[in-house]
Amino acid sequence: MDPAPLYLSLKLAFVTTVVLVILAAPLTYLLVYVRFAGKSFFDALLNLPMVLPPTVLGFYLLLVMTPRGGIGRFWQAVTGSPLVFTFAGIVVASLVYSLPFAIQPMKAAFEKIDRRLLESAYVLGLSPLAAFFRVIIPNAINGLAASAVLVFIHTLGEFGVILMVGGSIPGETRVASIAIYEAVEALRYEDAAMMCLILVPISYLFLLLINRLTQRQIYGT
Amino acid sequence: MELNISIRKKLPHFDLDVTFGCRKGRLLVLVGPSGAGKTTIIRMLAGLDRPDKGRIQYGGETWLDTEKNLFLAPQKRRVGYVFQEYTLFPHLTVSGNVAFSAEDKAEVPSLLKRFNIWHLKDRKPDRISGGERQRCAICQAMARRPRLLLLDEPFSALDAVTRQNLREELQKLKRELSIPIIHVTHDISEALYLGDDVLPMVNGRIVRKWMVQFMLKGRPPVPERPAEPEDAYGYRDRQDLSILYNSLEMMH
Amino acid sequence: MKRFSLSLFVLLFALMGSFCPAAAAEKLIVAVAANFILPSGEIVALFQERTGITVEPTYSSTGKLYGQIVQGAPYDVFLSADEARPAQLKEQDLADEPFVYARGQVVLWTAKKSLQGAADWQSVVKNPETRKIAIANTESAPYGTAAMTALEAAGLWEALKEKYVFPQTVAQAFQYALTESADAGFCAYSSALSDKAKGGFFYPVPEAPPIVQAACVLKRTENRPAAEKFAAFLDSPEAKEIKEKYGYR
Repeated sequence: MDPAPLYLSLKLAFVTTVVLVILAAPLTYLLVYVRFAGKSFFDALLNLPMVLPPTVLGFYLLLVMTPRGGIGRFWQAVTGSPLVFTFAGIVVASLVYSLPFAIQPMKAAFEKIDRRLLESAYVLGLSPLAAFFRVIIPNAINGLAASAVLVFIHTLGEFGVILMVGGSIPGETRVASIAIYEAVEALRYEDAAMMCLILVPISYLFLLLINRLTQRQIYGT
Repeated sequence: MELNISIRKKLPHFDLDVTFGCRKGRLLVLVGPSGAGKTTIIRMLAGLDRPDKGRIQYGGETWLDTEKNLFLAPQKRRVGYVFQEYTLFPHLTVSGNVAFSAEDKAEVPSLLKRFNIWHLKDRKPDRISGGERQRCAICQAMARRPRLLLLDEPFSALDAVTRQNLREELQKLKRELSIPIIHVTHDISEALYLGDDVLPMVNGRIVRKWMVQFMLKGRPPVPERPAEPEDAYGYRDRQDLSILYNSLEMMH
Repeated sequence: MKRFSLSLFVLLFALMGSFCPAAAAEKLIVAVAANFILPSGEIVALFQERTGITVEPTYSSTGKLYGQIVQGAPYDVFLSADEARPAQLKEQDLADEPFVYARGQVVLWTAKKSLQGAADWQSVVKNPETRKIAIANTESAPYGTAAMTALEAAGLWEALKEKYVFPQTVAQAFQYALTESADAGFCAYSSALSDKAKGGFFYPVPEAPPIVQAACVLKRTENRPAAEKFAAFLDSPEAKEIKEKYGYR
């Protein structure tokens, strides 16, 4: 059994988690604390990847990521190489795919913070940006952790989207879920079973972690 | 006067319309039934709320002027604000809270000692009592050397004994400070105990003494012409205030 | 109230009707390899017209269909993209004797104008402008295996490793080439002849062995006469005409 797909899956999950948690925090801040026109439409749009079938999402992502598409063209102009069929490409796809899963726990955590804490911070002289880092983040840390774990697991299991935009290139975009699928297709059932055997406990461990973190939120630290 | 405020705002059940001022070193109490608009006023003083029309001035500074479209952010006003609850940061210890935006971090230990919370300095807010939390909140506000101290029913959530202790401490504090202090409460005895100036508020208006007599006698009295505008306030005894509330109840 | 009960009655009647298994005896489920989608669509329609037997085709990659059949999927006939799988099914006593129903061919197809009009397919794949080449999964898609054979024969397989992109099916390889996600793709000849391919250009790949596509009637079919009729129809002159139109021999 070739270990490369497993490493690739873990690498993808890790990179996606780090980038997405950093990206989702200000987005969630916007959703929770800022009033603007069309907010509910924006919120629904951010949740769209959760309800679209992954292959549909993958299909549209492929269209915009090819060198002729919007994002693909931009990427090509900035970096000189294509976005589609690269590791960067499947990271972008994973970011879109898991965005709602990053936002939900964070949103719940931000909303639980009493407004008066923020107001107290403002009166004590903190700008909204400083208050975000010194008051909101420390008090939402469980939500952030839950976001990270959720995104990680979700990315580990990602299949349909990566199938469409990845191209299954060994060492670059052939992640474990695709490798397992191909092994089954090629009747290499033992290889498939072996990879599953390793993925299952990893995912289970992370699920346990999520439970511990969210429980602490309910019962208090 | 150091602080002058004159605002108007349309609220769901009534219109808020008040004008008053506060001098340095004086403790002014806004007293009245819940929902009279007292909290809204001090939130405006802190910069957390805005009136439809009005002006707030502190010393020579204009904090708010709706006509000239001036608004000074709460961050810049250097006001101390003590909420009724949830005023401490739960992720920080007592000393962390006090040091949060202390003017001079070296002062923090002496501040903690002065407010009698030195022995709690490494504890988190959920591990100390309600009274200790409020003392910590006042300490946190004072650490910033505020120009104005606002307290919004700070003792209402506490038991009677703790309340009395903290009232006494606040009295002592007042004598040491030379800033205006505005205190909101619905408790008449607290108002009379603490207040140098007492402003009863009902339904968004300050009730002046001569209005009570007008209401009781049913005819316009000769309005008192006080020497200085601010001496139009001053309910000095419990009876006055009780008469006020009773007559207001009769009116409704 | 009367209107309501009338419409309820009609609704119940219609529902009952749909449960009647009356015509179900004359229905076939046929598993078809993805590359044969277009010609099979026409063949099936013609067959239905001629015989009145309903045929429901299912399209997927050969590998997946094979796996499903081994696991007991209720297909009546299997149209594979290779010879190996039907042979394996015969060996496992799951199918009748396989027969060849079509011969496909791998071509190199590109949508890019700059890659058109070259001398041969080798110069296209070697061209530095060709950064990504789509090849269907070489383990489970016969067209991918054939393309790999051609590249190995030309001594290019290892050298161009960086360029390959491996979609799951040969149809997806064509899609990648069509959208220019890949600069060129090894596709089925039938794709190159389709309407969608109008703006593109294909190069024959003689080094790739013809894709001999075999079919078989599955032993578990509950409608053997109909299934055998369909199998025979695949070899009829009309079916042959359709196949040739789509580039199969």
